[in-house]
Amino acid sequence: MKDLKELKKIEQYADSCIKCGFCTFFCPVYQEDKIETNVARGKNFLIRQILKGEQKFTKEMQDILGRCLLCKRCWFICPPKTQIDRVVMAARAQKVNEKGMGFIKRLIFSKLMSHRKLFGLFAKIVQKFQWIMPRTEGNVRHVPDFVKVMGRRNFPEFAKKFMRDRVKPVYESADGKPAKIRVGFFMGCLIDFMYPDLGLKAIEFLTRHGVEVVVPKDQNCCGIPMSTNGDFKTARMLANKNIEAFEKLNVDYIVSICATCSSGLKDYQKYLPENEEQKKRYEAFEKKIKDINEFIFDNLKIKPEDLTLKKEFQGKTATWHDPCHLVRYQNIKDQPRAILKGLNGLKYAEMPNADLCCGMGGSFSVYHYDITKKIGAKKMNGVKATGADIVVTACPGCMMSLEDSAIQNNMPQKVYHILELVE
Amino acid sequence: MLKKSIINELKYIVGETNVLTTPEALKAYSYDGTTDWQHEPDVVVFPMTTEDVSQIMKLANKEKIPVTPRGGGTNVSGGSIPILGGIVLAMTKMNRIVKIDKENLSATVEPGVVLQDLTIALAKDGLFFPPDPQSFFGATLGGIISENGGGPACVKYGVTKQYVLGLEVVLPTGEITRFGGRTIKNVVGYDLMHIFISGEGTLGIITQAELKLNPLPPAKKTIMAVYNDMADAGETVFRVLEKGIIPGKIEFLDNYIINRVEEMVPIGLPKDADAVLLFEVDGIPEAIEKEAAGITDIAKQYGAREVRPAKDQAEADQYWTARRAGFAATFGKSPTVKNEDVTVPRGMIPDLLNKIKEISKKYDVTITVLGHAGDGNLHPAILTDRKNNEHYERALKAMDEIIESAVELGGVVAGEHGIGLEKQKFFRKTMDPVAVDLMIKIKKLLDPNNIMNPNKIWD
Ligand SMILES: Cc1cc2nc3c(=O)[nH]c(=O)nc-3n(C[C@H](O)[C@H](O)[C@H](O)COP(=O)(O)OP(=O)(O)OC[C@H]3O[C@@H](n4cnc5c(N)ncnc54)[C@H](O)[C@@H]3O)c2cc1C
Ligand code: SF4
Ligand code: SF4
Repeated sequence: MKDLKELKKIEQYADSCIKCGFCTFFCPVYQEDKIETNVARGKNFLIRQILKGEQKFTKEMQDILGRCLLCKRCWFICPPKTQIDRVVMAARAQKVNEKGMGFIKRLIFSKLMSHRKLFGLFAKIVQKFQWIMPRTEGNVRHVPDFVKVMGRRNFPEFAKKFMRDRVKPVYESADGKPAKIRVGFFMGCLIDFMYPDLGLKAIEFLTRHGVEVVVPKDQNCCGIPMSTNGDFKTARMLANKNIEAFEKLNVDYIVSICATCSSGLKDYQKYLPENEEQKKRYEAFEKKIKDINEFIFDNLKIKPEDLTLKKEFQGKTATWHDPCHLVRYQNIKDQPRAILKGLNGLKYAEMPNADLCCGMGGSFSVYHYDITKKIGAKKMNGVKATGADIVVTACPGCMMSLEDSAIQNNMPQKVYHILELVE
Repeated sequence: MLKKSIINELKYIVGETNVLTTPEALKAYSYDGTTDWQHEPDVVVFPMTTEDVSQIMKLANKEKIPVTPRGGGTNVSGGSIPILGGIVLAMTKMNRIVKIDKENLSATVEPGVVLQDLTIALAKDGLFFPPDPQSFFGATLGGIISENGGGPACVKYGVTKQYVLGLEVVLPTGEITRFGGRTIKNVVGYDLMHIFISGEGTLGIITQAELKLNPLPPAKKTIMAVYNDMADAGETVFRVLEKGIIPGKIEFLDNYIINRVEEMVPIGLPKDADAVLLFEVDGIPEAIEKEAAGITDIAKQYGAREVRPAKDQAEADQYWTARRAGFAATFGKSPTVKNEDVTVPRGMIPDLLNKIKEISKKYDVTITVLGHAGDGNLHPAILTDRKNNEHYERALKAMDEIIESAVELGGVVAGEHGIGLEKQKFFRKTMDPVAVDLMIKIKKLLDPNNIMNPNKIWD
């Protein structure tokens, strides 16, 4: 009998499924193909079978485990609150323990993304060669048509200069007075490589509101790509590196403008601890993490009407997309809406299905781009129904995916991070 | 195991992607909403059209392969378990709402349409389909018709059989037939349509249904009545009805459920109450105000210690969410739950509640009660653990005794969950033998090779 260490940790969650089928209605993946193995009920059942020794990590089983966006939409409605994110991630980790990672993923996760300098170097090389990808419009490029397997997927180009190369270690509060709050700024990969202007804007915004910002150089990827792919070992290494980078800075909070990063940092304590000591350390770290939306609203207590809407958005109608990692992983949904509704000169229209996953689900979209596209189209129908001019969100991952969906569905709407709207 | 040639024929009929044979997929179609029953099929097939279903049935009938229809797989009686293997006919991809006819107050649907999807579509036209099984996020119309489902709303509106105007059915032999039509009145020959409603998929496959709809009531109001003695709550139910007030819903939650719900979603339910009743009245605003006042008076008169009207829809929604969570409350807390579906004439509710209390004491087992009190359909659930033999024995005895008591009080063993596999033991015990004999003959006539969801209802 194999040791089922990772699965044993989540046995109680998989066991709590009462097979009521409520999740089927909410699961974006099930809704596309209506096949039982793709929904939480089926996954919980099959994982229980693994625990009972009646199911192995076959190729098919691995594929089934891959067919989950980890969007937690099912969890939201699930009566016993089966923790599907934990169950699926633990099963992926168990698979990695038994069968290893697969060469390419191992290379990318543990040899590349987890080493800040090397990853930066690699990103630069990609940046230099991105002219291979045809330009769709502005700074959006797409996969060349001859690479048929990927579909005609669009994504933002790599920035000319990454955030890491443009950032100072310390930013004092702009008014010159001693800062009331000192925060550490967590970049995350996408802000670093794709949206550095947004990162710098966030820092500037914070300092203008009386915050001192420090940006440690030795911060890394948050670890979500690894933990969601079952590479808990690398994720744990990154967690420890990140905690170390911030621990010594003596900051009140650690702020991120990427919903996935902020939730990833908060959830080290949930997925990764191997012993009590680690758990305590991760829990202490969690308490410091703030997503920018909650930080502006709950900590800085800035009134939305005191914020200034940028000129270009005057008179426009905005609609909000809830990133899964914000609305369900962090229960942050009211703050961004309050900001959008309170901004003078901006109209707000709530879209139906605002909390529907954009369809990306991290590497899900690499393997199942066909499903991603269908979910994206549904999302865009919601956007259409509002008549909104712009789509606003707070996760660079969602931004990428929503931009792609808008283009795929011939829609004029542009996608913005909530911070981009304000001065 | 089915022959490769048969799998190939199935693939030929519905297309490669609509036939699943991997061990993983077969496992995922081995269960339903019950805790116990499990059996794998040999193949899972997704028909897309009535013609597909017909061809599959012809093939199965020729080869004598068992076929088990499955909708959302949410039934709690073992109905969609392929107990003899064979084909699971997963109806989930036949899920088009073909037509909503506002003038005729009717809708044409395929069987795989999920109730909540229908509800959302109908609301846009100011309409609704009254039967409301609380599994509406997962249950399909095919399953709901086959189980003759009903939920809280059936006090006032009745159950599914009152809302089916016509059915298209593929018989076990593969013939396509139509029963009923699109009219409210229809007396052309024997009313055969109704044997397919609550047929539990043993007589044929429903491939299309014509449903009767109602206009959405313009206003609603929710009232909660709190009791120190559950029997008083039981009495209030039939007193309210007797006084001529027919609420849209009357639901019952006992002390155990109240406390578990409060643990999960704290909304300020009275944790020390023996039971609460939730009423919903719906209709013309002036009328429902009067009805609400009437209910308040009657509840107080028959022993409610407190009556709380919900101040707005948000508070009302909270109460109804609590009611839905009640189901999970029972299941989440115990390794094995024996969930009953007994139904008694409404005047007998207090007697049944007292009886359940007695039985719980006698066998020293926890029995929770949650139910559609308005129609006398209670769901006593016995919390036990199959792995603890001694306890489980007691639980089973308690269950037998509850069912016997319900039947003695003029009731039935299953109100809405059907017989399937779970309740077979009680089927012959509580049914008229002549009727059982007739049913078996009808089954033989329609399904000569006994391939259509075999071994269900009777053993
Ligand atoms: C949380 C929860 C709450 C519930 N609450 C209620 C409630 O309030 N009221 C109530 O009545 N029930 C309730 N149920 C029971 C269940 O949801 C209903 O029986 C429902 O109608 C089943 O629908 P389904 O689509 O899931 O059917 P399935 O479970 O897939 O199948 C049910 C039966 O119908 C047959 N069948 C399915 N589709 C077809 C078809 N197209 N043609 C022929 N036969 C078919 C199957 O073979 C099976 O025998 C509840 C269940 C759960 C889990
Ligand atoms: S909603 Fe939760 S309990 Fe119900 S079937 Fe899905 S995972 Fe299981
Ligand atoms: S997390 Fe999302 S994709 Fe995964 S089972 Fe739940 S609803 Fe489906």
